[in-house]
Amino acid sequence: MNPRTRAGTAGRAIGVVVLISLSLFPCYWMISTAVDPSPLSRGASLLPSGFTLDHFRHVLVDAGFLRYVRISVIVSVGTVVLSAIVALLAAVAVARFRFRLRTQVLVMVLMVQMVPLEALVIPLFLQARNLSMLNSLLGLVIVYLSFSLPFAIWNLRGFVAAVPKELEEAAYMDGATWLRMFRSVLLPLVAPGLVATSVFSFITAWNEFIFALTFMQDSSKYTVGVGLRTFFTQNSADWGSVMAASTVITLPVVIFFVLVQRNLASGLTAGAVKG
Amino acid sequence: MTQLDSPPRSPTGGAAPLERRTVPLGRRLRRASMPWLLLAPALLVLAVLLLWPMLRVLNLSLQDFELRNLLRGESNYIGLDNYVQVLTDPFLWKTVLPNTVGFALVCVVLTMIVGTVVAVFLNSLGTAWRSISTTAIMVAWAVPALTGTYIFVWLFDPQSGLVISTLDGLGVMEPGSFNWFTNRWTFYAIATINVVYHGFPFIAVTMLAGLMTVPKELYEAAAMDGATAWSRFWNVTVPALRPIIAVCVILSTIWDFKVFVQIYLMPGGDGSTREVMNLGVWSYTQSFAQGEYGMGSTIAVLLTALLLVISVIYLRVLMKEDEL
Repeated sequence: MNPRTRAGTAGRAIGVVVLISLSLFPCYWMISTAVDPSPLSRGASLLPSGFTLDHFRHVLVDAGFLRYVRISVIVSVGTVVLSAIVALLAAVAVARFRFRLRTQVLVMVLMVQMVPLEALVIPLFLQARNLSMLNSLLGLVIVYLSFSLPFAIWNLRGFVAAVPKELEEAAYMDGATWLRMFRSVLLPLVAPGLVATSVFSFITAWNEFIFALTFMQDSSKYTVGVGLRTFFTQNSADWGSVMAASTVITLPVVIFFVLVQRNLASGLTAGAVKG
Repeated sequence: MTQLDSPPRSPTGGAAPLERRTVPLGRRLRRASMPWLLLAPALLVLAVLLLWPMLRVLNLSLQDFELRNLLRGESNYIGLDNYVQVLTDPFLWKTVLPNTVGFALVCVVLTMIVGTVVAVFLNSLGTAWRSISTTAIMVAWAVPALTGTYIFVWLFDPQSGLVISTLDGLGVMEPGSFNWFTNRWTFYAIATINVVYHGFPFIAVTMLAGLMTVPKELYEAAAMDGATAWSRFWNVTVPALRPIIAVCVILSTIWDFKVFVQIYLMPGGDGSTREVMNLGVWSYTQSFAQGEYGMGSTIAVLLTALLLVISVIYLRVLMKEDEL
């Protein structure tokens, strides 16, 4: 090995260390604050001053954060189930059929993602208020369904298109109806894509803040994002508790996301769209 | 947009018409309505929850619509008065618009630079280290904007955050001597770090996927001709990735214009420090804190119009690259 490539290897090793530690640092700081017995006097020390689960116990048991987690889980799972069904049907339509206005439908699906939530929150709030849907979990699920649909359709379209048409034709040859073919051929083959898309829908609903803040005015209906704000008082924050609750919110998302990253990344580069 | 109107090409090519003539009419009709049946639920949801509210917000923006109008269910049209009022407000031109546009531009440029550098770096690694590093940056991507913002607020906490403690240790600054969150520039500097941290992984992963498609021979040929790494980047990589770069720039622009949570959740970002407001926060607080839904809608329409212009550019780029 000549000196030049050895220097290159050393440079790359340093680069990897810097990249990984900077990427993970905020997460590390969150978790290490959450387990630190006295986070406010920790100062610049990189290691926590001790280890305790008190903040977690305070957050989950005393402050009732589990209630918010339950609400968020219900809303997110509801969104995932509805969005998977509706998006899969739509994705089959745009990936498998050539029909008039098909391009226009796709363009619309792309365009609606550009609409800022701040513009939607005013009319939808007024509408929900008129329909007495404020503080309703179903209301929130329906709103989140519309946010997750465009990305889900766009992403699933690629997965459906990747299934060879010959397989479908073979099913028809064997006398299968469209529905039978859909259930026995298409569905099993797009299942990985469906999982990746569902994870993304889950994250969209789990992370959403503006609508949860505006719609859920009754503290028994807070989602995790809105519930997190209860740990702040006028001028100070109980950072140990805030970071413990943040850990509870963040960990499932990070784990899900990293698990499906490969599927998701291929879908993203094909569609290049994030919610 | 000529590509938009051209009929989609038949995937089976020339053989299709011949085949189609033999299919009975009833079956053909059923096949023609099939895609619409499949699309119906999705289109219904999008129409009711996205398109209809957009029309409603346009309608509201032409009204002086306050809480009492809401309670009595009356409309109160005032023409373009809201627009005149917003567009002649020096607060828009001196504070809100620079905060929105300037912040978005800085974030896009920084996100692109960081993302590209990381992508080029990842591309130079072996498979094992590349996938480990990619997973690490995926974590940065996955951290929700909500909790990510609180982490950065805590890191920059003026009393006992890591940054002030480090500066105190170095003897530069006393804890509590300066509140980063009340100054417009330091407020947005922190927000920029937060947004770039959250946004660079998407750029890096997308650019990496593109980089891996550039044929190695191109680099070898350029190296033979004596090109330096820098000129290889500008003369081989950038032209080959032009479409991907364009998509990345436009998508980041759209996302960074829409930033709301990362500003709203910072201390003073919810409208209590007026000089750090951006269009999104202004629209939201005007509606939900002041109860002036009409004025809030007008600001929201302006933000949407701004995004629409960028989206149209995005679509044109995308349509040029591949058939949908």
